[in-house]
Amino acid sequence: MKKTLIVLKNELLTTIKRKSFILTLLLLPLIGLIFTLVVGNRDQTSGITSLISKLTTTEEEKLSIGLLDDTRNITKIPDELKDQIKLYTTKESANIDLGSGFIKAFYFIPEDYVQKGEIVVYRPDFNPLSAGNDNYLIETLINSALLSENPEIMNLVSTAPKFKTELLSPEPQRDPGHQLTFFLPYIVTFLFYIVILGSSSMMLNSITNEKSNRVIEILLTSITPMQLLSGKIVALGLVGLLQTIVWSGTGLFILRLSGRSFALPIEFQLPTSILVWGIIFFILGYILYASLMAGVGALVSNLKEASQATTILVIPMVIPLVLLAPVIQNPNGALAIFLSLFPFTSPVSMMTRLSAGNVPFWQILLAIILLLVSAYWIVRSVSSFFRAQYLLSGKEFKIKYFIDAMLGKS
Amino acid sequence: MNTIEVNNISKTFGSQKALDEVSFEVKPGEIFGLLGPNGAGKTTCIRIVLDIFKPDSGSVKLFGNGMSEEKKDQIGYLPEERGLYQDINLEECLNYLASLKGLSSSESHKRINEYLIRFNLDEHKKKKVKELSKGMQQKAQLITTLVHDPKLIIIDEPFSALDPLNTQMVKDILREQRDLGKTIVMCTHQMHQVEELCDRLVLINQGKSVLYGALSEVQKNYAGHAIHVRTEDQIPASLPGMNKFKRLENHHHYQIDLDSQVSPQDFLKTLVAANIKINQFEIAMPTLDEIFIQVVTESGMKYE
Repeated sequence: MKKTLIVLKNELLTTIKRKSFILTLLLLPLIGLIFTLVVGNRDQTSGITSLISKLTTTEEEKLSIGLLDDTRNITKIPDELKDQIKLYTTKESANIDLGSGFIKAFYFIPEDYVQKGEIVVYRPDFNPLSAGNDNYLIETLINSALLSENPEIMNLVSTAPKFKTELLSPEPQRDPGHQLTFFLPYIVTFLFYIVILGSSSMMLNSITNEKSNRVIEILLTSITPMQLLSGKIVALGLVGLLQTIVWSGTGLFILRLSGRSFALPIEFQLPTSILVWGIIFFILGYILYASLMAGVGALVSNLKEASQATTILVIPMVIPLVLLAPVIQNPNGALAIFLSLFPFTSPVSMMTRLSAGNVPFWQILLAIILLLVSAYWIVRSVSSFFRAQYLLSGKEFKIKYFIDAMLGKS
Repeated sequence: MNTIEVNNISKTFGSQKALDEVSFEVKPGEIFGLLGPNGAGKTTCIRIVLDIFKPDSGSVKLFGNGMSEEKKDQIGYLPEERGLYQDINLEECLNYLASLKGLSSSESHKRINEYLIRFNLDEHKKKKVKELSKGMQQKAQLITTLVHDPKLIIIDEPFSALDPLNTQMVKDILREQRDLGKTIVMCTHQMHQVEELCDRLVLINQGKSVLYGALSEVQKNYAGHAIHVRTEDQIPASLPGMNKFKRLENHHHYQIDLDSQVSPQDFLKTLVAANIKINQFEIAMPTLDEIFIQVVTESGMKYE
């Protein structure tokens, strides 16, 4: 027991102290932060956000667009749009400004617009994204001009209808119309995928490293393979939990920081139950994959073989990602139910479902039982061949050996 | 009580019989040679003694009975394929391996520092192991073997890839450890090292024990009926009791094969009677190399 703890402590410290680990631990939230600030909040004007949005705005975008309205419906540009739209009275003056780069585009509304609905746009080059933005501005302007006598209708036209959903499920969770509800299952799925795969791959690396360094023989004169395996499993599991905590912690922090309606409305906060399920599915999924990786580690002779072997183990983990969209769209469909019950995909897929909607309690329980049974079976078969004879042999790895070893045929 | 008792151990890997009914004993305080050609089963034998492998049959007793957690801490092992963590610094690596041998953190720091200074590795202790030269890594490996002050030291090919200076250092350390009362098992195929260091030996070939006993006994048993003579006089072409003679590398040094019924003592008298001035007269002891080659070829091993 004491030596298991020594292994655990050493594994934990060397992993956490590794530069690549620290980098990943910090880099991922940082990328998330930048992404959220830049993409999510370019229009915001507060603090860091506006600074970043200034940095990402090109000179061209700051220019206004020119408008000549021959239908004479638009007589005046509203104050809030004055920076962005400049009204012209003649084509010539507009063309001169466009040519000398004072405006980035020139919109010409012909007299027959009301009949034909056609507007001519002159621009020096075509940029679909900013063009869309400009088109939208003109569209709003025309609408408000046309409907200037009916402000109420104008309001309805310019704002999308609000869908208020009344949930019949017992645990009202989040506002289903909230855009975060859309992203949440993606975030949760990727977080689980990365953390489970990441920490179980560390297991494989650690064992392969000891094999190729040949330290393993020294270790085996001091400790048993089981002490080694259990020390590593617990240590790297703790590393995985640390990652989860840091990443989800900074995730929440980013959401708070980024200004918009992210002051975390109550409806967005995940129900506490999902956290409990999350921990259970992480631990079980981690044990299952980490022991599989340990089994591969016992059989491969170098890192190159290890990475080939991992590819095969990773396939069942990737399936929930590939099929993410249909699962989120229909969290209680047959595909979603199957993936969230099948032990090799359930740790990730069940978390997707739990974050996308309500899952019947019996299904969660069944998934846990199935996962528990498979994890037990895998730990047992791996420990039966996680022995010196394999750890010290330099035999070339073949999937067949691995399957044979898992099934107890050696 | 013997330090190690190996009783009829056998081990098979797949279709290959690595060890076949091997037995030997290692006595406390001796340097014991475990010899054999490459692939003879030496390393398998050591791994079974260390309880890394289980024998298919037979048994091993260490310090009187089976292996236990405490006994693992009493053994220092230098494997043939040296192994250290390459990506951490030397000091961390040594401390971790020492802690697995049951040393407390403060104790292992203290002892490792002493050894690092003794082995001139002190200034390299913050370097990553992979940045050290091969010789330095060998010395570091030796620290791992000795740092927990084991009662039994098992070393597999201790001199491979060492320069003469470091070879001498390792020999000195082995003698020093023996003088401290440690038992040492040395596994090698470098026979002259065995002649120099070992008290007793076992020779394994193709998984079988083919020679076992005290070094002097073994040599006596394999001594042919020959003597070595140094003289400045000519040896006559025929002498009573002399079968044939040949000059050795030095012109005044002869090896003389005697008739089987003539004892060296009688032949010495004959030489004296023949008025030959003798500078040196000794019974020709075969070198271990010669015995090794003789035994191994006799037992059916082909040169490959």
